[in-house]
Amino acid sequence: MLNEPGITDIAQLRHVPRRYWGRTVSAGLILLFLAFLVDAFAHGQIEWRFVGRFLTVPSILFGLGNTIVMSVLAMALGIVLGVAIAIMRMSANPVLRWVALGYVWLFRGMPAILQLLLWFNLALVFPTIGIPGLWQARMVDVMTPFVAALLGLGIAQGAYTAEVVRAGLLSVDTGQYEAAKAIGMARLKALRRIILPQAMQVIIPPIGNEFISMVKLTSLASVIQYSEILHNAENIYYANARVIELLIVAAIWYLVVVTLLSLGQAQIEARFARGAGRRAGRS
Amino acid sequence: MSDAIVRAVAVAKHFGQFQALHDINLDVSRGEVLCIIGPSGSGKSTLLRCINQLEKVTGGALWVDGELVGYRREGDRLYELTESQIARQRRTTGMVFQRFNLFPHMTALENVIEGPIQVLKRPKAEAIAEAKTLLARVGLEHKSAAFPVELSGGQQQRVAIARALAMCPKLMLFDEPTSALDPELVGEVLAVMRDLARSGMTMIVVTHELGFAREVASRVVFMDQGRIVETGPPAEILSRPGHPRTAEFIAAVLS
Repeated sequence: MLNEPGITDIAQLRHVPRRYWGRTVSAGLILLFLAFLVDAFAHGQIEWRFVGRFLTVPSILFGLGNTIVMSVLAMALGIVLGVAIAIMRMSANPVLRWVALGYVWLFRGMPAILQLLLWFNLALVFPTIGIPGLWQARMVDVMTPFVAALLGLGIAQGAYTAEVVRAGLLSVDTGQYEAAKAIGMARLKALRRIILPQAMQVIIPPIGNEFISMVKLTSLASVIQYSEILHNAENIYYANARVIELLIVAAIWYLVVVTLLSLGQAQIEARFARGAGRRAGRS
Repeated sequence: MSDAIVRAVAVAKHFGQFQALHDINLDVSRGEVLCIIGPSGSGKSTLLRCINQLEKVTGGALWVDGELVGYRREGDRLYELTESQIARQRRTTGMVFQRFNLFPHMTALENVIEGPIQVLKRPKAEAIAEAKTLLARVGLEHKSAAFPVELSGGQQQRVAIARALAMCPKLMLFDEPTSALDPELVGEVLAVMRDLARSGMTMIVVTHELGFAREVASRVVFMDQGRIVETGPPAEILSRPGHPRTAEFIAAVLS
């Protein structure tokens, strides 16, 4: 054991912290690069006043509204289908189990854009739709861009949500089902009052993530002429050739919506964390 | 039939190929405190879970409070009960689990009022007043706003007992209620159970606490390998067991 003469208390001497030269240099380089990027965009071939002018034109705001409406409705459809499919997946009935499995396999297996095109062109397979003798319509009238986008995005989302919900339901201890039964609860009530609120803790973070994906995924609906924000931005630049400016306008709105959603997600997570977290001993 | 709250006749339970219960014959009278003891894997918990229909009996017949468990008889046919009918039958019994199984997203008070409000459809104010009385009875009136994670194991188990009592059961089932507890917390739970027994509650207790069985039980059942080996007053079973396996088990627990 070495004995340093004169030191009895390290707190009495001046301390010189260790230097991290690598970190300092790399941070400096990154800042330099960012400054270069900002400078490039400030002096590049971008007319920033166009960005400002088109940010709030009616066509863009209308597209923004459609983007939000489609995101919310497609996600809602996805969650309803996802919960139903997840419960079917865990059913004792083999037919229900296999149907659920097939659904996930089919709609998770094809690209979303392809599914949108399939729904939109459904009239090629079924020219008319209806209940014989009661009601009939031409498919092209029913399968509007809105309906095709909603079905395509919502049904595909259902396949992903089903897996998330199933993972959430499986994460709840079987003792919770038994305790709910023991106080005389029937299955559906136990699911709603006891199991789902606990599964939510596991379900909410990935669903929030998927919702954010969905906002951006709605841009695919521009290929089937649904008038969401990207579609409308494109229509403007076809006319005035301000391509980058209008793409930046759309980008800004996407970032705004996604930022607001991220904040909302944190709030909802906090609400469903009730009774968790503050661990005061064994579980 | 009306004096026996539980009547088991040649009850059997299979899990696939494995037979967990063989030829269980047992009558439990109202007001009785029955302690079931035996080595792990002897079928004690399975029997308890059959009485509460967390498991389905696969042979023999089981009655609880005069009703055939799980079936409705018409002529020589048995119709399986629907889920809501089973839920109704379960209300006769209250169950306390080894691992407490409190609802973690609810406070102690909310755990206790959940059944009365959601299942018995009692008015909320009434349910809260009764829940507070019950929490006071298990010594936890000051913890009614606490979440399960904020309670010790002993406190959680006492809330679980209050939750079961809130359903006004005719029979209380305890599945090794002190086995998951730190030794210094066992006493507080046993004290609540002792109180409950004195108040005249009919209880079936699966336990390794032989001291509790000796003091509180009106009868002790010893089970081994899915069979009832012997039954009798605690003084007799615990002090002068008639069967060598019982003697072996008691010696092993006490050592």
